[in-house]
Amino acid sequence: MRLSPQAQLQLRRFRSLKRGYGSFLILVFLSVLALLAELLVSNRALLVRYQGHFFLPTYGAIHPGRDFGSDYAYEVDYRELKDRFAAEHAGNWVLMPLVPYGPNENCYAGQNFQPRPPDAAHGHYLGTDQINRDILARLLYGFRNSLLFSAGFVVMVYAIGIAIGCAMGYFGGWFDLGMQRIVEIWSLLPFLLVVIIVRAALPAGTSFGLGLLLFVVVAFAWTGMTYFMRSATYREKSRDYVAAAQVLGAGPVRVLFHHILPNILSILVTFLPFTTAAAIGSLTALDYLGFGLPPPMPSWGELLREGTGNLDAPWIVASAFCALSFILILITFIGEAIREAFDPKKFTLYR
Amino acid sequence: MSSPAPILEVRDLKTHFPVRGGIWLRSVATCKAVDGVSFQLLPGETLGLVGESGCGKSTLGKSIVRLLAPTAGSIRFEGVDLATLGRKKLKPIRRHLQMIFQDPAESLNARHTVGQILEEPFIIHGIGSAEERRASIDTLLDKVGLPRAAAHRYPFEFSGGQRQRIGIARALALQPRLIICDEPVSALDVSIQSQVLNLLLDLQREFHLSYLFITHNLAVVKHVSDRIAVMYLGRIVELSDAEDLYARPRHPYTRALIAAIPEPEPRATRPRFIGTGDLPSPINPPPGCPFHPRCPHATDLCRREPPPLRETSSAAEPSHAVACHYDLLPAAIPSPLGAPQKQESRDT
Ligand SMILES: Nc1ncnc2c1ncn2[C@@H]1O[C@H](COP(=O)(O)OP(=O)(O)O)[C@@H](O)[C@H]1O
Ligand code: SF4
Ligand SMILES: [Mg+2]
Repeated sequence: MRLSPQAQLQLRRFRSLKRGYGSFLILVFLSVLALLAELLVSNRALLVRYQGHFFLPTYGAIHPGRDFGSDYAYEVDYRELKDRFAAEHAGNWVLMPLVPYGPNENCYAGQNFQPRPPDAAHGHYLGTDQINRDILARLLYGFRNSLLFSAGFVVMVYAIGIAIGCAMGYFGGWFDLGMQRIVEIWSLLPFLLVVIIVRAALPAGTSFGLGLLLFVVVAFAWTGMTYFMRSATYREKSRDYVAAAQVLGAGPVRVLFHHILPNILSILVTFLPFTTAAAIGSLTALDYLGFGLPPPMPSWGELLREGTGNLDAPWIVASAFCALSFILILITFIGEAIREAFDPKKFTLYR
Repeated sequence: MSSPAPILEVRDLKTHFPVRGGIWLRSVATCKAVDGVSFQLLPGETLGLVGESGCGKSTLGKSIVRLLAPTAGSIRFEGVDLATLGRKKLKPIRRHLQMIFQDPAESLNARHTVGQILEEPFIIHGIGSAEERRASIDTLLDKVGLPRAAAHRYPFEFSGGQRQRIGIARALALQPRLIICDEPVSALDVSIQSQVLNLLLDLQREFHLSYLFITHNLAVVKHVSDRIAVMYLGRIVELSDAEDLYARPRHPYTRALIAAIPEPEPRATRPRFIGTGDLPSPINPPPGCPFHPRCPHATDLCRREPPPLRETSSAAEPSHAVACHYDLLPAAIPSPLGAPQKQESRDT
């Protein structure tokens, strides 16, 4: 694909804005880490050598303890296995990830439930929460949930907002009028109340997973995008390059997809960081209030709530708060830079 | 006198816009942008359409190419009435009926290369293979005097005059027979206006094109037009042979427009009665003659009855129609052309 000269210029300007571009690189790096979380933070081994065979348990099936010479049928405890192999000196070994704990794992099974402070010797770099789960693991997997949620959120909000807003702006008339009223009424519905009602109305046992949560949040978030798309489409439609295409005989599909949308798309990009921040914010808020992801799914909101409830274990709230602030600040810097690089007043090349 | 069949015949065309208000956007008033326009255009002819900004020239042009749906009247293009045709039936006709816009910066999609812009007409109508289309683009660029390498560049890389050449090339692509030129040089530097006008005239001769040439500038239209229509508040108030219009303007509005043309050697006193009152709104046009609030000769009849466009010259002379109740002597009207014109005047 060949980028238009505006797009190239915008890209160059974005790269030249050090703070925003740097934030972008850091965020990309952190996202990659989160997507590869199992290789960095996990209670499953990266590599096991047992009786001459190699095993890669990370993404594979569960190995019961018997597979590696233990006497139990549930999943192997790889940390214990590592210690045992080391003691046996039989040529078997286990390679654990950097942090050998899982996000939902009680790291001190059989011991008291109590938050433990950061302890590098045991690999709990940020300590544990009140039920002995490693905080770094929960942060990283929680970040991944946030990212997946935001990605789904952005895609769905954009898809719905663009489709409906574009149709309103392009076709106008009664469709536009009717949709405007529906959107107005819809945006007046109290979001939190509906979330609580939906949760209460779910049959017992139904899990309120990422997908359903996403659906409910998007159902309330798409309206903002339609306002913008409607007016942007309306404005572009009344410009002469569209008239010129119509005089040549172009139909609505061609006009919309070949002319109007590409001209709006660059403005949509500038919204992207702010939409992402909104998605992370709403997921965290819902989790904090207990209406978000079901336990034990790792999430930042849940960690914040636990932290504020256990202020005598300040490492919990500090980790969650710092992580959240850091990510939101990165996104804000990126958003600022994109906006500056795309500023229509600056990128309009003639007039 | 037997004349060839007109390529375009507009009859009693009206294009009204509803002015909406309230939350249900009910129509609260009507903007009569074009309100009963009739004229003919012959093959190879240029009809100039002049009038102040806001008098409905663009609306008329856009109605003819059916960018707008007319409220009433007919638009016969080569015998077919376009006024009520749907998009599908219009599409094949659009090849022969094109438009050039005022501001090429607005009318060329900034995200497309010149090549893409010029290829679009062929793609829309499914004409030619990719290779044939490329050859056609080269030919078009030659015709409008741009280098062939322009195809790979973007509109903003060109000057205003070059960009308008791109717009002209696009309009020419499908070999039209009629082109609506909506202020094609008004956005350009005065120094390059004549180059673009000459290009339009050359192309007209080469392809036997008809032009409806819209402008608010009487000085420009004189150059290029065979006949001129003067428009005021959605209506044609005078329609005549170009020479005759300048030599013997009959409508007070036309005389005022001609008086307002900047002259090479400005006279010390240029009468300008048109300064009295602004262009009234087409939303509530005045009753009777639309020009009466600004006309120094207005009578009660003018305030009551709208004057029809009527023929004022004898059968032997070229047609000269005017929409005024009176045959006004030039002497009665302050006009810079007044003095030398006096003895020629037949109006009584
Ligand atoms: N799409 C539209 N909707 C409502 N009113 C319009 C529209 N287009 C033009 N008008 C009105 O019609 C009148 C004539 O406009 P236009 O044809 O653009 O004039 P001109 O080209 O002679 O300057 C103006 O009063 C303008 O406000
Ligand atoms: S009809 Fe009356 S008001 Fe209209 S132009 Fe003629 S004299 Fe003036
Ligand atoms: Mg205009």
